[in-house]
Amino acid sequence: MTQIERIISEIFGIDEDRINGDLRRNVDPEWDSFNHLLLISQLESELGITFTMAEVESITCYEELLGAIGKRGIQ
Amino acid sequence: MTYIRKKVAEKQSIASFFGNYRKHMNEGTKSERGELQKVRIAILTSSTIKGIQEVLFEKCFAEGIEAEIWIGGYNQYRQEILSEGSELYKFHPDLIFINIHLKSLLGEYYYDPYSLTERDRREWVSNTMGEVSGLVSFLKNHSSAKIILHNFQVPDYSPMGILENKQPFGLIKSIKLLNMDMEEVYQSDNQVFVFDFDRFSSQLGKFNIRDEKMYYLGDIQIAMQYIPDLCEEYLGYIKPLLSRSKKCIVLDLDNTLWGGIIGEDGIAGLKLGQTPEGKPFVEFQKYLLALFGRGILLAVNSKNNVDDAMEGIEKHPEMVLREKHFAAMQINWDNKAENIIRIAKELNIGVESVVFIDDDELNCEMVHESLPEVLVVCLPEDPAQYVRRLQSISDFNTFQFTQEDVERGKMYSEQRQRSIYEKTATSIEDYLRGLEMEMTIEEMNEFNVSRIAQLTHKTNQFNVTTRRYSEEELINMQNRGALIISARVADKFGDNGIVGVAIINRGASTWMLDTFLLSCRVIGRKVETALLSLITEKAKVSGVKKVEGEFIPTSKNRPSHSLFEDHGFELIEEFENYEKWVHYLEIPILAPAFIKTVFLEKPEGGKLNDAN
Repeated sequence: MTQIERIISEIFGIDEDRINGDLRRNVDPEWDSFNHLLLISQLESELGITFTMAEVESITCYEELLGAIGKRGIQ
Repeated sequence: MTYIRKKVAEKQSIASFFGNYRKHMNEGTKSERGELQKVRIAILTSSTIKGIQEVLFEKCFAEGIEAEIWIGGYNQYRQEILSEGSELYKFHPDLIFINIHLKSLLGEYYYDPYSLTERDRREWVSNTMGEVSGLVSFLKNHSSAKIILHNFQVPDYSPMGILENKQPFGLIKSIKLLNMDMEEVYQSDNQVFVFDFDRFSSQLGKFNIRDEKMYYLGDIQIAMQYIPDLCEEYLGYIKPLLSRSKKCIVLDLDNTLWGGIIGEDGIAGLKLGQTPEGKPFVEFQKYLLALFGRGILLAVNSKNNVDDAMEGIEKHPEMVLREKHFAAMQINWDNKAENIIRIAKELNIGVESVVFIDDDELNCEMVHESLPEVLVVCLPEDPAQYVRRLQSISDFNTFQFTQEDVERGKMYSEQRQRSIYEKTATSIEDYLRGLEMEMTIEEMNEFNVSRIAQLTHKTNQFNVTTRRYSEEELINMQNRGALIISARVADKFGDNGIVGVAIINRGASTWMLDTFLLSCRVIGRKVETALLSLITEKAKVSGVKKVEGEFIPTSKNRPSHSLFEDHGFELIEEFENYEKWVHYLEIPILAPAFIKTVFLEKPEGGKLNDAN
């Protein structure tokens, strides 16, 4: 499991096999609005990065999340 | 996860708290352990503190506490407090935290305080204090819960910039004053405690705990990664409420109180003093001394040769803590857990009120394994971090602080020195002579009356009649002519305080001992002989012929049964639960030569007012 996958699994309480392109915000019950903010906080503090507010609002799925992280040079 | 913290400074990410919380909610908490202490916590807030429920629950659980947590609705604290049938009161909390954010009180003025005139600002401060104290008073009348009131976070920004503190009654000053007022109002209130939220946010950084993005996205006032820190502060109030305060710090020596190993490096090779390597140990000891000053007992638990260790403690010029500060010492090559059990036994405290501090991870693990109820604090590798680790322990809090707490550490260590000395004395007379005892007898006055009443209530063993008296009863007896005296005993190791009481009804021909008692602290030191000698002497001077005493047996006062017989009294009456003894004053009772006795008459003006 990558660091990102571990954080997601911890916060959403889901297994590794569910962390893929199908994981969607506000669709999967674990990825609700509060867990979204929690996930962002945790990624920021563990990876040492900062998202903009617009990004936080626009991310709707796992791929977009990885994209926003990737922009900061983290795979 | 083990439920007693192994290391105080272990920092858990907020995500792991949520993971555990989810697990506990799904699977319950029963399977992991037996009885948990229960507590009901209500949190009233003017904003959303997301995450606090989960984290506080988990932090409590890690301490063996099952917390039921109720969080009031967004900005509903006024309604919750002021309506008697509200959810808050139905919840029956043991503790109520009130967290009102400045922004919610100031409204638009938060952004532009100087649109208010100086007069308006002054009025605002006094109105705000009035509102808060009004809410708290209402709460106090409707709940017996401890109330923990956050103070306000002093703003870190002013539109006036460098001229802020030139403004008459400026914004920042007014919030500081509000906080000071709040502390003042509840200074001696034992139900309401002000939580210095401004200190908390300064400690972590006001810039850090405010996450602007999260504030806009979810009205989150405290950034989530700092929620565990806030909960740790809350635990500082929860633990004393459940009587879980720690009483004693058990300390390792090598690389804990000093740098280096005394058995190998010798006293001259220790790192302790005003060098960069020595200073952290000196300061660590200074902070321990401050805890000692607030009534926390200190003890030593070290694998060392006694002579080596004692040389370090007593002879090293830079030691802050000396033998006199330690209530118990276990210096040997035995298992450290075994030593902790011995220390707890010697100090008559439970193992669960012990904090063990050691630099050696293996020792820490071993103690934790065999005594999970002990809080084990493993010191970080770098001594520069020792003081911080010590300061982060929130387990010494109590809701009260008395003079007895101040004296406690000293009395324990004096007692230890007495018992060491007792072992070295060759005979009992030799021991008693060497103690250099001094007894001060004082007639009852306004300073000793409460202690006298306390002793009549607490003393069971060396107490011939076990009569319990209130202060009022004692004052009335004295006013009707009884001689009431207290005996304070000091010796070369220190002052034991007031440890004896005698109440004598003075008749024309007979003095009658209504009460004669000694605290168990001084039993076996011939104090009773010195006291009886003094009483009989006084009786003789006053012209009476005899002194009488009674013995009323109880299940506990066997130790005082032979008092009268041992001092030459004759038995004149005997029933099933009553004996009367008499002593004719032609034969004096000789005071032991090794106790110096001083008698202080009641000072002029020291008369206590009639309680009637």
